[in-house]
Amino acid sequence: MSEEAELLPGTLDLLILKAVSLGPLHGYAVLSRIEQISGQRLFVEQGALYPALFRLVRQGLLRTEWGKSENNRRAKFYELTTKGRKRLQEETVWWKRASAAVSTALAARPQQA
Amino acid sequence: MIAAYLSSMVRRFLRRATMEREIEEELQSHVQLRADALESSGLERAEAERRARIEFGSRVRFKEECREAMGGNAIEEATRDVRFSLRSLRKSPGFSVVAIITLALGIGATVATFSVVNTVLLRPFAFSHPEKLLWIYSQRSDNPRTNFSMPEYCDYRDQTTSFESLAGVASFNPSFADSGPPERVQGVRMSASAFAMLAVRPVLGRTLIAEDDLNGARGVVLISYGLWSRRYARDPAVIGRAVNLNGETREIVGVLPASFALPNLDTEIVVPLQPDADPRRNVRNSVNFLRMVGRLKPNVMPQQAHAELEAIRQNLQRQYPGIYTGKIGLTVVSLTEEIVANIRAVLLTIFCAATAVLLVGCVNLAGISLSRAAARQRELAVRTALGATRGQLTRLLLSESFVLALVGGSLGIFLEMWGQRALLRLVPTDLPRIESFSFDWTVLLFACALIFLAALVCGIAPAWLLSRSDLREALVSRGRGSTGGGLQARLRTWLVSSQIALALVLLANAGLLLQSFVRLSSEQAGFDPSGVETIRFSLPQTGYDDVGTIVRFYDQLHSRASAITGIKRDALVSILPLAPKSISFVHFTRPDRPPARPKDTPSTNYRVVTPDYFQTMGIPLLKGRNFTESDDADHPPVAIVSTIVAKDHFSDRSPIGHQILVDDTDHDPRLVQIVGVVGPVKQTNLETPAKADIYLPLRQMPKDGVPWLRNSAYGVVKTSAGAAGLERLLRDTIQNVDPNVAVGAVRPMSEAVTAALAARRFSLLLVGSFAGAALFLAAAGLYGVISYGIQQRNREIGVRLALGATRARILRMIFKEGAVLLAAGILAGFAIALGLARLVASQMYGVNEHDPFSFAMVGLILSVILFLACGVAARRAMNIDPMVSLRCE
Repeated sequence: MSEEAELLPGTLDLLILKAVSLGPLHGYAVLSRIEQISGQRLFVEQGALYPALFRLVRQGLLRTEWGKSENNRRAKFYELTTKGRKRLQEETVWWKRASAAVSTALAARPQQA
Repeated sequence: MIAAYLSSMVRRFLRRATMEREIEEELQSHVQLRADALESSGLERAEAERRARIEFGSRVRFKEECREAMGGNAIEEATRDVRFSLRSLRKSPGFSVVAIITLALGIGATVATFSVVNTVLLRPFAFSHPEKLLWIYSQRSDNPRTNFSMPEYCDYRDQTTSFESLAGVASFNPSFADSGPPERVQGVRMSASAFAMLAVRPVLGRTLIAEDDLNGARGVVLISYGLWSRRYARDPAVIGRAVNLNGETREIVGVLPASFALPNLDTEIVVPLQPDADPRRNVRNSVNFLRMVGRLKPNVMPQQAHAELEAIRQNLQRQYPGIYTGKIGLTVVSLTEEIVANIRAVLLTIFCAATAVLLVGCVNLAGISLSRAAARQRELAVRTALGATRGQLTRLLLSESFVLALVGGSLGIFLEMWGQRALLRLVPTDLPRIESFSFDWTVLLFACALIFLAALVCGIAPAWLLSRSDLREALVSRGRGSTGGGLQARLRTWLVSSQIALALVLLANAGLLLQSFVRLSSEQAGFDPSGVETIRFSLPQTGYDDVGTIVRFYDQLHSRASAITGIKRDALVSILPLAPKSISFVHFTRPDRPPARPKDTPSTNYRVVTPDYFQTMGIPLLKGRNFTESDDADHPPVAIVSTIVAKDHFSDRSPIGHQILVDDTDHDPRLVQIVGVVGPVKQTNLETPAKADIYLPLRQMPKDGVPWLRNSAYGVVKTSAGAAGLERLLRDTIQNVDPNVAVGAVRPMSEAVTAALAARRFSLLLVGSFAGAALFLAAAGLYGVISYGIQQRNREIGVRLALGATRARILRMIFKEGAVLLAAGILAGFAIALGLARLVASQMYGVNEHDPFSFAMVGLILSVILFLACGVAARRAMNIDPMVSLRCE
């Protein structure tokens, strides 16, 4: 099995929120940040990022502003809103619980069933 | 929610171009940044950019996804909604067809009645600032709406300071002749200054100007839009044409707009009043024939104006003692109110009835789509599982009802336009302003609003249900629609009860109207219209200057008419019975019992007749003798009175042989002897109780009455059964006597009776059919909810039957459910109907608007029909086989 994990459905939004929570980022930087904080194990299809970003903006979880990138290109920066921050917290709690439950389930041995 | 949906759609549509550019720019920037990163890892710039583009994937596809994520393209999204709705509606054609027909009929009927309301009540009047216009009558003890004399009008006009201008208006029904055959038209003489005051814009030419009123001014006439259309086929060249009115040549100078109307007066033509040229200008005692209309000065309240006019009136009464006896005040009303006041309640009732039917129809559809939504919960749950949001599902349900409402509504508007002619034939002809009827923007806007609201009413209940139910559970529960089932059922019972309530309100209203109609049609008018034909004519201005010439005309006519086979009797009368717009009455006194105060002088309807009148009309002679041909100028003047006069003024003795003073000349009252008493006749309409009547023989009529009788008189003939083709013969006979006589249409007297009931027949017919429709819909709704309940509880019923419950017991259970719904609906309906009673009170005749009998009957009828619907639904339950229904699970 390769070191690269496939992204679970529904987790992209959570990862974007997390990435952006560390500071305003433009789209490309969001990708790099996700790769970086996942220890280079999670990769997001480049084009697929944008529909997700737009959806989060529409839900009022992110806000945007045009600015300059580090190498001086015009780019759109994404930033967490208060609502987004709250959502991130909730989703994180939910994710931990769910993944713990799944892990427990997977760790079960035959005689315990 | 829906408003927000629509407005965000509009906003997104407007923002679309900017958005598109932004997406493009952002994706481009991403590729550049990636290329930068690749370049810094050692690639050539060109290669780096190529690689970046490949890595990014299909830009078209992601752009599309971005658009969608942002709320997408409004138009595309709407088309998708509509396409989807169409697909899902096609899947249930039965429901769709029922819904579209219900909505088409409901919206069509509501729009149709609204277009009448719009024409008559809502459209702006032909006058500017109509709220400042007052219409003024002279008030008498027995009639608040009577006329002023010419000198009286001039005094008010010259002395008032409250009005910018005060105009006099008199009815004027001359013969109207141009190159075609002469016809009688119904119009007015009106102060020329009135037009500056009313600010009427002519359709063609000009209106009247102050100069037209000057003594000796060139004769001019305005014609109505109706006359212009009827006689001249809207020929613009009509301006400047010379026409002959009562032998006087006048030039047509303008065409009035269709919306021009005056209270209780026809305005086919308008000629200047020319008060100074009037022979009665300075005759204090002269006939009362004018009403007044005035425009208030700014900052003058109607009450102030009324008070000022009242002061002038009292002054006049002091100044000319004995002249204005019987006039006790003034009736001051708003001009536009006076035009539409009578008809407003009728039209609003009809409009409300139509709206109620539409509402019942929509509620019915809401009920059906509620069941559909429940049945579709599984489908909806699957959609949710596949990623549809609740908002999207709501939108789906709403867009379905929007599609239905749009299709049904458009069909309804089409029906309305198509059925307009039929509707206009039903409308009573004396409805004011109806000739300007047309489909305009207001109606279209109203129709659109109606479609929108109908869609909302139909779609909101299932959408709400959706928002309240747990769809995930629906998926688990094997799609039996059990979730939200309780809520759904409760909602449906509410809907059905409200339908029953509305149907009851309509039925109660229709019942009251029906009772009023029946009572009124059984009212005795006091004459027998069967076989009586009437013809109105006016004699030319020249050649008929005295009573003798009129009598000669009549004698010739009489001798020719008697010779016609098929005519049993014939007579002449100044005004026919049941003539709501004609006022003609005189004051009279018993010399031995003079009134205590001048204003107590009694008055009576005044009719000039020939001897055969009573027999022709079937008015019974109760005492004394009839007029004879020898009651002429050479014999002592005589009169015949009605029983009302006898009862009110001769309670102490028989009136026969008694002399009374009749004030029917421009001079002092004259003595006439009562020779007979006849039955009472309803002279104005069927509703108004018969008042006192006095009849005088034509041969003894005073000279002052000549212009009045010359202007308008009626021939009445009693035909033998089966006589046909008399119309032509009658007209020819009159014109053979004198070709210059203007002859109106021949109308059977029974038509006047029909016309007296026309407005009521109209509203009864419409409200009645609306009530029927509402009843049908309510029955269908109840049937639906009961049979749905049975279907849902198939298993429960099966179990009960299996456990030994008798079918009668099951039936009782079902009926009990129906009875609860019915009782709730009927109680609510009674409450609403009683609350609305005030609206219909003015349309009641001989029945109280709270009439308990009507309400009870209506409640009974409704209950019987709805229980029938219940029973039909219950038969299905009776057919349940416990074995089958239990195994089904």
